[in-house]
Amino acid sequence: MPKKTILLIAFLLVALVQLYVPASMILDREAVLAQGTEYKFRTAPIDPNDPFRGKYITLSFEDTTVPIVNENAWVDGESVYALLTIDEHGFAQIQSVTKEQPADDQDFLSTTVSYVSSNGNRQLTLQYPFNRFYLEESKAPKAERVYWESLRETSQTTYALVAISDGEAVLKDVLINGISVRELADQSKDGND
Amino acid sequence: MSLRKDIAELVEAEIISEETAEQIHSYYQQKSGQSGNRLVIAFGILGAILVGLGIILIIAHNWDNLSRPVKTTFAFLPLLVGQGLCAYVLIKQSESTAWREGSATFLFFAIGASISLVSQIYNIPGNISSFILTWMLLSLPLVYLIRSSSVSLLYLIGITYYACDLSYWTYPFQQSYLYWPLLLLIVPHYYQLYRSQASGNFTLFHHWLVPLSVIISLGTLTQDLGELMFVAYLSLFGLLFLLGKFLVSDLSQGSSNSYTALGSLGTVIVLLILSFSDFWSNLSREQFGTYEVLTSQEFAVAALLTLLAGWFLYLFLKLSSLKDIEPLALVFLLFIPVFIIGLVSTVAVVLINLIVFVIGTLTIRNGARRNHLGILNYGLLIITALVVCRFFDTDLSFVVRGILFVSVGVGFFVANYRMLKQRKANA
Repeated sequence: MPKKTILLIAFLLVALVQLYVPASMILDREAVLAQGTEYKFRTAPIDPNDPFRGKYITLSFEDTTVPIVNENAWVDGESVYALLTIDEHGFAQIQSVTKEQPADDQDFLSTTVSYVSSNGNRQLTLQYPFNRFYLEESKAPKAERVYWESLRETSQTTYALVAISDGEAVLKDVLINGISVRELADQSKDGND
Repeated sequence: MSLRKDIAELVEAEIISEETAEQIHSYYQQKSGQSGNRLVIAFGILGAILVGLGIILIIAHNWDNLSRPVKTTFAFLPLLVGQGLCAYVLIKQSESTAWREGSATFLFFAIGASISLVSQIYNIPGNISSFILTWMLLSLPLVYLIRSSSVSLLYLIGITYYACDLSYWTYPFQQSYLYWPLLLLIVPHYYQLYRSQASGNFTLFHHWLVPLSVIISLGTLTQDLGELMFVAYLSLFGLLFLLGKFLVSDLSQGSSNSYTALGSLGTVIVLLILSFSDFWSNLSREQFGTYEVLTSQEFAVAALLTLLAGWFLYLFLKLSSLKDIEPLALVFLLFIPVFIIGLVSTVAVVLINLIVFVIGTLTIRNGARRNHLGILNYGLLIITALVVCRFFDTDLSFVVRGILFVSVGVGFFVANYRMLKQRKANA
């Protein structure tokens, strides 16, 4: 009997941890959504899918390169902080990258280095930590098509709306000319069927 | 029924005691119960896997119409159901294998489903390796608390996937050292399983999955000196082969098992890969600094595995004579001088071909001696594979290749025919 009780207590603890992990993921993201500053990142998506999490649009971003001084000081795949500013059109722009965590009064993004140029161009390309936008199964291909159509017309602007707080980012929406791709996919469904 | 009658008769005739009669009864009762039980366990696990995977698929649909709070609530639903089931099993059904395995397997998938759903709701990106790592770490306690071997097997698959994703499939490649402590965490369960039910189905599955996982993951330790990993792999296969020999004497289940099979097959395959001259011409051209080699991770891995395999070879020789040893158990030792020769000269490729040929011939002889068609044909297959590999080398004339093929083909016929004829004569 005591062995059973110990097992049960141990299991309860494990169960709490199992609940805590997704719960803390949720709370962290909710905190960023509630307190974070919103940034608009210019994008260009494509559509694959994930066996566990379903259909999504992969976003690739326009401004991901930063000039650096010394190519040898950076390694592919390492974690860095990117300092953010906003350009004249209201889109997010990377001001510089640093290895030390910036002061609290500055807006920054925790991210990773995708690759560093090795040919003397002194360019560092970042991999943003919000390159997936999950969509309902039936909408993902339509959203992708709408997106590609919008890309052909240079007059359209497409961007990802991201909330950032203390370096942590949560992707809120992907928009084309200010309208969510979710809505656009719905409209496209009505138009075509 | 006739058994009961017979036992009663034997007791009456005072050939066996009442006590023995009782033991025989309970033995047969248990035995008949086991096979039915096994089916229930298998269906319990299969059912849990299907339901768990189904939930993950339903979640993957991405229900846009549901609001975020509703979706997050649903993320916890399968998790809570699985935990409830496991708690019930711990309290009420802790002796039922079917209940334990079924509920733990369901909870395993529920954990994956709930993390998936959260990452979907908040658009947390790719990085499948960290997702799997979290999932496996949260599931591991189920192996020990609920005593679930199916979760242990799923965990093994998961950590192997983790190591592969990190070190083989994702650029920039990263080291997945964490795999090794994760593997160690499952060893107590594996050992316990082996001790308590040496010939059980779950033990058998572990006997296959554990070495397979190690074989797949060993390559993740490669850095810059990939050539040295061939030494490491041959030593690993030698080690597995020798371990298998110890298991055979312990298990009394035929002459081979998963360890000997994987060890022998792995050795032959690596040797066949090395029987091409490309590897050796590259190796002899490369310049290695002694310091660079001695301090490399690959050297440490190769040395450690060779020492381990050597130690088991020593133990094996202490128990049996040199004559009993199979040539496959010695390949890893033989390979080291060949590799060193290969650093300076491409003569090594000839030696490798010779080794494969000798192994093939000795295996054929072994099969013929023991009157074992399987071993005989395995030896013939090794020779055939060697011939096929040489077929792709262009420096042999077509006539020579043709003669080689014909003679090996004839060898197949003659060897099998002679053995079958001999069997008939004996029968």
